[in-house]
Amino acid sequence: MLSANILSMKMPLSEALAVSLIGIATVIVILAVIACLIILVSKAIRAIEAKTSSEKEETPAPAPAAPMAKGTSAGQVELINTNEKEAAVIMAIVAEKTGLSLERLSFKSIKLMEDEKKGDENK
Amino acid sequence: MGVLLENFTTVTFPQIAMWIIGALLIFLAIKKEMEPSLLLPMGFGAILINLPNSGAKHIIDVLFRVGVDNEFGELMPLILFIGIGAMIDFTPLLTNPKLMLFGAAAQFGIFFTLCLASLLGFDIKDAASIGIIGAADGPTAIAVSMELESKYVGAIMVAAYSYMALVPLVQPPIIKLCTTKKERLIRMDNTAGKAPSKMTKILFPIVVTVIVGLVAPDAVALIGFLMFGNLIRECGVLNSLSETAQKVLANLVTIFLGITISARMRAEEFLTVDTLLIIGLGLFAFIFDTFAGVMLAKIMNIFSKKKINPMIGAAGISAFPMSARVVHKLGLEEDNQNFLLMHSIGVNVSGQIASVIAGGLILTFFS
Repeated sequence: MLSANILSMKMPLSEALAVSLIGIATVIVILAVIACLIILVSKAIRAIEAKTSSEKEETPAPAPAAPMAKGTSAGQVELINTNEKEAAVIMAIVAEKTGLSLERLSFKSIKLMEDEKKGDENK
Repeated sequence: MGVLLENFTTVTFPQIAMWIIGALLIFLAIKKEMEPSLLLPMGFGAILINLPNSGAKHIIDVLFRVGVDNEFGELMPLILFIGIGAMIDFTPLLTNPKLMLFGAAAQFGIFFTLCLASLLGFDIKDAASIGIIGAADGPTAIAVSMELESKYVGAIMVAAYSYMALVPLVQPPIIKLCTTKKERLIRMDNTAGKAPSKMTKILFPIVVTVIVGLVAPDAVALIGFLMFGNLIRECGVLNSLSETAQKVLANLVTIFLGITISARMRAEEFLTVDTLLIIGLGLFAFIFDTFAGVMLAKIMNIFSKKKINPMIGAAGISAFPMSARVVHKLGLEEDNQNFLLMHSIGVNVSGQIASVIAGGLILTFFS
């Protein structure tokens, strides 16, 4: 009936109203289904994430690290004849000059060169 | 010399009227900043195509055939949808999925305008194409009216984009008429709902495409391209493509789309009583969309403990993001601490999805 009317390009108002009501009802149903799915999927994902995080909490914490040797910084940088303040300044300068963040830089040791220090003092 | 003057003597009054319409569109675009990215190219195109013996007619026709009216589908609107999908952040909607229903309510205007146009004597395909103006969604309106081979594509485009641009003028009086001051003062909780996970955001475009595709296969191209753009945005590994889709791709298509649509703005086709009727019906569609959205919110308030500010229902038309901003601004006008943007944006993006589904259903029913 609908296709016959479309072919003739005419549709009585009652039929146009019926098509409209079916159309709007379908839009509402589809969106309601999507909304329900969003709620369900969100809940499922949250439940999975909560389970994963609780499992992580249950696993024993790693043993505390061995006490650091004297002259070693918290970031495992070996400081030789240098205090932590000077080392921090040097690391900040290197980060600034290289354009890399401190997380991406690894310092093994910072050592004060005695000869150069003396040479500087003679100048 | 006679050849040079020939064009002056062949100018017709309808052509001059189209120049004035073109100039008006350009004025609205520049001076009033109403949808300038589309009204300006359309306005200039209207002048270009209506110059006597215009040498641009052929190239604009070619653009139209390639971009909008080719045998493979409506290329430009669909590509534009990838850009729009990449621009849309569905987070507010995913945070509060109930807002989806408002998007549906605001599509009432499409179907009631279809009935009204049918009653006024338009054939059913033209009536359906006119109804889709109520989607407040340019690419959907182009795709549907072209697919249904409506002879009023130009008028439908002008009406759709003009009313989208006029949302800040059209909607506020309707919203105020439909609501009381007490209702407009309702504050909504902005902290309600948990932020969606990344996985939810990635699954959303895929699930929506599959569901809509199963119910309305003719909507797959529209919804699929929209959701593809959104998937590019949300996947997190295609940031460069997402930015390109949002900016370069969307802008490039928009430049051509506006001027291409002017191919259907020839004086002899455009200046008819039907065009006036279509523009009037377009206004009816927008008004009814707004009314239906507000009314649904009021009905929901009867049953809901947490009251909804009924104004957010009006944002269900998919004129994104103007409609959401209008509602937010109206909320602030009533109470400068009433921030409705989060909710109105959620409703607005649901309107975007709903309008595409409605467009697809119309294609399923009538193509």
